[in-house]
Amino acid sequence: MLQKSLGEFEEIVLLVVAILEGEAYSVSIIAQIEERLHREASLGAVQTVLKRLEDKGLLLSEFGATTKARGGKRKRLYEITAKGQDILDQTRQQRNSLYEAIPNFSVKLI
Amino acid sequence: MQDSSNKPSPIALSFFHWFCRSEYREEIEGDLMEKFEFNSKKYNHRKANRLFIKEVVLLFRPSLIGNIHQLTNTHIMTSKASNKRFYLLFVGFFSLLFIPFIAMIFTQEVNWNLLDFIVAATLLGGTAICLEFIFRKWKTLGSRLLLASSLIILLLLVWAEMAVGIFGTPLAGS
Repeated sequence: MLQKSLGEFEEIVLLVVAILEGEAYSVSIIAQIEERLHREASLGAVQTVLKRLEDKGLLLSEFGATTKARGGKRKRLYEITAKGQDILDQTRQQRNSLYEAIPNFSVKLI
Repeated sequence: MQDSSNKPSPIALSFFHWFCRSEYREEIEGDLMEKFEFNSKKYNHRKANRLFIKEVVLLFRPSLIGNIHQLTNTHIMTSKASNKRFYLLFVGFFSLLFIPFIAMIFTQEVNWNLLDFIVAATLLGGTAICLEFIFRKWKTLGSRLLLASSLIILLLLVWAEMAVGIFGTPLAGS
Protein backbone atom coordinates (compact mmCIF):
# COMPACT_ATOMS: atom_id res chain seq x y z
CA MET A 1 0.00 0.00 0.00
CA LEU A 2 1.34 3.43 -0.90
CA GLN A 3 2.40 5.49 2.06
CA LYS A 4 0.25 8.63 2.08
CA SER A 5 1.23 10.35 5.31
CA LEU A 6 4.07 10.60 7.77
CA GLY A 7 4.16 10.45 11.54
CA GLU A 8 5.45 13.55 13.33
CA PHE A 9 8.85 12.07 14.18
CA GLU A 10 9.13 10.41 10.78
CA GLU A 11 8.64 13.80 9.15
CA ILE A 12 11.31 15.39 11.35
CA VAL A 13 13.84 12.64 10.57
CA LEU A 14 13.08 12.82 6.84
CA LEU A 15 13.53 16.60 6.85
CA VAL A 16 16.82 16.35 8.74
CA VAL A 17 18.11 13.73 6.30
CA ALA A 18 17.24 16.13 3.47
CA ILE A 19 19.02 19.00 5.29
CA LEU A 20 22.20 16.99 5.85
CA GLU A 21 22.55 16.13 2.15
CA GLY A 22 24.43 12.84 2.12
CA GLU A 23 26.01 13.35 5.56
CA ALA A 24 23.01 11.98 7.42
CA TYR A 25 23.59 9.13 9.86
CA SER A 26 21.96 8.55 13.20
CA VAL A 27 24.42 10.52 15.38
CA SER A 28 24.41 13.56 13.06
CA ILE A 29 20.60 13.38 12.82
CA ILE A 30 20.29 13.38 16.64
CA ALA A 31 22.69 16.34 16.83
CA GLN A 32 20.59 18.29 14.31
CA ILE A 33 17.35 17.51 16.14
CA GLU A 34 18.87 18.69 19.42
CA GLU A 35 20.39 21.80 17.87
CA ARG A 36 17.47 22.90 15.71
CA LEU A 37 14.48 21.72 17.72
CA HIS A 38 15.94 21.64 21.26
CA ARG A 39 14.48 18.20 21.61
CA GLU A 40 16.13 15.02 22.84
CA ALA A 41 16.06 11.91 20.69
CA SER A 42 17.41 8.50 21.58
CA LEU A 43 19.49 6.41 19.23
CA GLY A 44 16.85 3.68 19.45
CA ALA A 45 14.06 6.00 18.33
CA VAL A 46 16.06 7.43 15.43
CA GLN A 47 17.34 4.05 14.25
CA THR A 48 13.83 2.61 14.34
CA VAL A 49 12.43 5.45 12.25
CA LEU A 50 15.33 5.31 9.78
CA LYS A 51 14.77 1.59 9.21
CA ARG A 52 11.03 2.15 8.80
CA LEU A 53 11.51 4.98 6.30
CA GLU A 54 13.98 2.87 4.35
CA ASP A 55 11.49 -0.01 4.25
CA LYS A 56 8.87 2.40 2.90
CA GLY A 57 11.26 3.45 0.14
CA LEU A 58 11.56 7.04 1.37
CA LEU A 59 15.27 6.72 2.18
CA LEU A 60 18.27 4.99 0.66
CA SER A 61 21.35 4.00 2.62
CA GLU A 62 24.90 2.83 2.13
CA PHE A 63 27.87 2.23 4.39
CA GLY A 64 30.22 5.18 4.79
CA ALA A 65 33.69 5.56 6.20
CA THR A 66 34.83 4.56 9.64
CA THR A 67 36.51 6.78 12.22
CA LYS A 68 38.58 6.07 15.30
CA ALA A 69 35.84 7.48 17.54
CA ARG A 70 33.51 4.80 16.20
CA GLY A 71 35.82 1.99 17.23
CA GLY A 72 36.45 0.99 13.62
CA LYS A 73 32.76 0.53 12.83
CA ARG A 74 31.33 1.96 9.64
CA LYS A 75 28.48 4.47 9.70
CA ARG A 76 25.37 4.04 7.58
CA LEU A 77 24.66 7.16 5.54
CA TYR A 78 21.12 7.95 4.45
CA GLU A 79 19.74 10.04 1.62
CA ILE A 80 16.24 10.92 0.66
CA THR A 81 14.63 9.32 -2.41
CA ALA A 82 12.35 10.96 -4.98
CA LYS A 83 9.42 9.27 -3.24
CA GLY A 84 10.60 10.77 0.07
CA GLN A 85 10.77 14.24 -1.52
CA ASP A 86 7.25 13.81 -2.91
CA ILE A 87 5.80 12.85 0.43
CA LEU A 88 7.51 15.81 2.13
CA ASP A 89 6.05 18.18 -0.49
CA GLN A 90 2.65 16.60 -0.08
CA THR A 91 2.82 16.91 3.74
CA ARG A 92 3.81 20.56 3.44
CA GLN A 93 0.94 21.31 1.08
CA GLN A 94 -1.53 19.59 3.41
CA ARG A 95 -0.28 21.61 6.37
CA ASN A 96 -0.38 24.86 4.44
CA SER A 97 -3.93 24.23 3.31
CA LEU A 98 -4.96 23.57 6.91
CA TYR A 99 -3.27 26.75 8.15
CA GLU A 100 -4.91 28.73 5.40
CA ALA A 101 -8.30 27.32 6.37
CA ILE A 102 -8.14 28.72 9.91
CA PRO A 103 -10.77 31.49 10.05
CA ASN A 104 -9.77 34.88 11.43
CA PHE A 105 -11.17 35.38 14.88
CA SER A 106 -11.11 38.42 17.14
CA VAL A 107 -9.27 38.34 20.44
CA LYS A 108 -11.35 39.34 23.42
CA LEU A 109 -9.51 41.78 25.61
CA ILE A 110 -10.42 41.53 29.27
CA MET B 1 45.08 8.19 21.88
CA GLN B 2 42.43 6.22 23.70
CA ASP B 3 42.75 5.54 27.39
CA SER B 4 42.07 1.86 28.08
CA SER B 5 39.96 2.75 31.12
CA ASN B 6 37.84 5.07 29.00
CA LYS B 7 35.61 2.35 27.60
CA PRO B 8 31.89 1.82 27.96
CA SER B 9 30.33 -0.79 30.20
CA PRO B 10 31.30 -4.26 28.85
CA ILE B 11 28.09 -5.73 30.29
CA ALA B 12 25.91 -3.23 28.40
CA LEU B 13 27.94 -3.82 25.23
CA SER B 14 27.58 -7.61 25.57
CA PHE B 15 23.86 -7.17 26.14
CA PHE B 16 23.68 -5.08 22.96
CA HIS B 17 25.62 -7.73 20.99
CA TRP B 18 23.21 -10.35 22.25
CA PHE B 19 19.94 -8.70 21.28
CA CYS B 20 20.77 -6.55 18.25
CA ARG B 21 20.03 -7.90 14.78
CA SER B 22 23.30 -8.92 13.19
CA GLU B 23 22.73 -6.79 10.07
CA TYR B 24 22.40 -3.61 12.17
CA ARG B 25 25.11 -4.38 14.71
CA GLU B 26 28.11 -2.68 13.07
CA GLU B 27 26.49 0.68 12.36
CA ILE B 28 24.65 0.93 15.69
CA GLU B 29 27.69 -0.14 17.72
CA GLY B 30 29.68 2.54 15.89
CA ASP B 31 26.99 5.10 16.73
CA LEU B 32 27.04 4.04 20.38
CA MET B 33 30.83 4.30 20.55
CA GLU B 34 30.81 7.71 18.86
CA LYS B 35 28.21 9.04 21.29
CA PHE B 36 30.14 7.56 24.22
CA GLU B 37 33.35 9.24 23.03
CA PHE B 38 31.53 12.55 22.61
CA ASN B 39 29.88 12.32 26.04
CA SER B 40 33.19 11.36 27.69
CA LYS B 41 34.70 14.61 26.44
CA LYS B 42 31.62 16.68 27.21
CA TYR B 43 30.94 15.30 30.70
CA ASN B 44 33.04 12.64 32.40
CA HIS B 45 33.54 8.90 32.07
CA ARG B 46 30.97 8.04 34.72
CA LYS B 47 28.17 10.08 33.16
CA ALA B 48 29.14 8.97 29.65
CA ASN B 49 28.89 5.37 30.81
CA ARG B 50 25.49 5.99 32.38
CA LEU B 51 24.24 7.55 29.14
CA PHE B 52 25.71 4.62 27.19
CA ILE B 53 23.76 2.10 29.30
CA LYS B 54 20.61 4.19 28.89
CA GLU B 55 21.03 4.24 25.10
CA VAL B 56 21.55 0.47 25.03
CA VAL B 57 18.38 -0.10 27.07
CA LEU B 58 16.42 2.25 24.77
CA LEU B 59 17.69 0.32 21.74
CA PHE B 60 15.99 -2.81 23.07
CA ARG B 61 12.91 -2.53 20.88
CA PRO B 62 11.17 -4.94 18.49
CA SER B 63 12.43 -3.32 15.29
CA LEU B 64 16.06 -3.73 16.30
CA ILE B 65 16.21 -6.96 18.27
CA GLY B 66 16.89 -10.24 16.53
CA ASN B 67 14.34 -12.95 16.19
CA ILE B 68 13.76 -15.48 18.93
CA HIS B 69 16.17 -18.00 17.34
CA GLN B 70 19.01 -15.53 17.49
CA LEU B 71 18.21 -14.54 21.08
CA THR B 72 18.05 -18.08 22.37
CA ASN B 73 20.42 -19.69 19.89
CA THR B 74 18.56 -22.90 20.51
CA HIS B 75 17.80 -24.23 17.05
CA ILE B 76 17.57 -27.69 18.57
CA MET B 77 14.64 -26.58 20.69
CA THR B 78 11.43 -27.96 19.29
CA SER B 79 7.95 -26.65 19.89
CA LYS B 80 7.12 -29.45 22.30
CA ALA B 81 5.10 -28.15 25.22
CA SER B 82 7.68 -29.13 27.85
CA ASN B 83 10.44 -27.36 25.94
CA LYS B 84 8.26 -24.30 25.54
CA ARG B 85 7.66 -24.27 29.29
CA PHE B 86 11.37 -24.70 30.01
CA TYR B 87 12.19 -21.88 27.63
CA LEU B 88 9.60 -19.61 29.28
CA LEU B 89 10.91 -20.46 32.75
CA PHE B 90 14.46 -19.75 31.67
CA VAL B 91 13.63 -16.45 29.97
CA GLY B 92 11.35 -15.47 32.87
CA PHE B 93 14.02 -16.05 35.49
CA PHE B 94 16.77 -14.41 33.48
CA SER B 95 14.62 -11.38 32.78
CA LEU B 96 14.78 -10.69 36.54
CA LEU B 97 18.38 -9.65 35.91
CA PHE B 98 17.03 -6.60 34.09
CA ILE B 99 15.83 -5.18 37.41
CA PRO B 100 19.31 -4.43 38.83
CA PHE B 101 20.63 -3.68 35.34
CA ILE B 102 18.05 -0.94 34.79
CA ALA B 103 18.21 0.24 38.42
CA MET B 104 21.96 0.86 37.97
CA ILE B 105 21.13 3.52 35.40
CA PHE B 106 18.96 5.53 37.74
CA THR B 107 20.55 5.10 41.16
CA GLN B 108 23.96 4.69 42.73
CA GLU B 109 22.42 2.51 45.46
CA VAL B 110 22.44 -0.48 43.13
CA ASN B 111 26.00 -1.21 42.08
CA TRP B 112 26.43 -4.74 40.72
CA ASN B 113 29.63 -5.91 39.13
CA LEU B 114 30.08 -8.67 36.56
CA LEU B 115 30.53 -11.33 39.27
CA ASP B 116 27.23 -10.34 40.89
CA PHE B 117 25.45 -10.83 37.58
CA ILE B 118 27.16 -14.19 36.98
CA VAL B 119 26.23 -15.47 40.46
CA ALA B 120 22.64 -14.23 40.13
CA ALA B 121 22.33 -15.75 36.63
CA THR B 122 23.66 -19.08 37.93
CA LEU B 123 21.20 -19.10 40.82
CA LEU B 124 18.25 -18.15 38.63
CA GLY B 125 19.24 -20.53 35.83
CA GLY B 126 19.71 -23.37 38.33
CA THR B 127 16.29 -22.69 39.82
CA ALA B 128 14.68 -22.74 36.36
CA ILE B 129 16.31 -26.10 35.59
CA CYS B 130 15.21 -27.57 38.95
CA LEU B 131 11.66 -26.28 38.44
CA GLU B 132 11.50 -27.91 35.01
CA PHE B 133 12.82 -31.14 36.54
CA ILE B 134 10.06 -31.02 39.17
CA PHE B 135 7.38 -30.42 36.54
CA ARG B 136 8.62 -33.34 34.43
CA LYS B 137 9.09 -35.79 37.30
CA TRP B 138 5.99 -35.10 39.39
CA LYS B 139 2.58 -35.06 37.73
CA THR B 140 0.16 -34.19 40.55
CA LEU B 141 -0.67 -30.59 41.32
CA GLY B 142 -0.12 -30.98 45.08
CA SER B 143 3.39 -32.39 44.81
CA ARG B 144 4.34 -29.86 42.16
CA LEU B 145 3.12 -26.95 44.28
CA LEU B 146 4.89 -28.24 47.40
CA LEU B 147 8.22 -28.87 45.67
CA ALA B 148 8.14 -25.72 43.54
CA SER B 149 7.31 -23.47 46.50
CA SER B 150 10.05 -25.16 48.58
CA LEU B 151 12.51 -24.50 45.79
CA ILE B 152 11.49 -20.84 45.52
CA ILE B 153 11.83 -20.40 49.31
CA LEU B 154 15.28 -22.01 49.14
CA LEU B 155 16.26 -19.63 46.33
CA LEU B 156 15.09 -16.62 48.34
CA LEU B 157 16.97 -17.80 51.44
CA VAL B 158 20.21 -18.36 49.50
CA TRP B 159 19.76 -14.98 47.81
CA ALA B 160 19.18 -13.22 51.15
CA GLU B 161 22.15 -15.02 52.70
CA MET B 162 24.43 -13.97 49.86
CA ALA B 163 23.11 -10.42 49.92
CA VAL B 164 23.03 -9.61 53.62
CA GLY B 165 24.13 -12.78 55.47
CA ILE B 166 21.18 -13.79 57.63
CA PHE B 167 22.77 -17.09 58.77
CA GLY B 168 26.40 -16.03 58.84
CA THR B 169 27.66 -18.86 56.59
CA PRO B 170 30.85 -18.40 54.49
CA LEU B 171 28.58 -17.45 51.56
CA ALA B 172 27.24 -14.44 53.45
CA GLY B 173 27.53 -11.18 51.59
CA SER B 174 27.93 -9.24 54.82
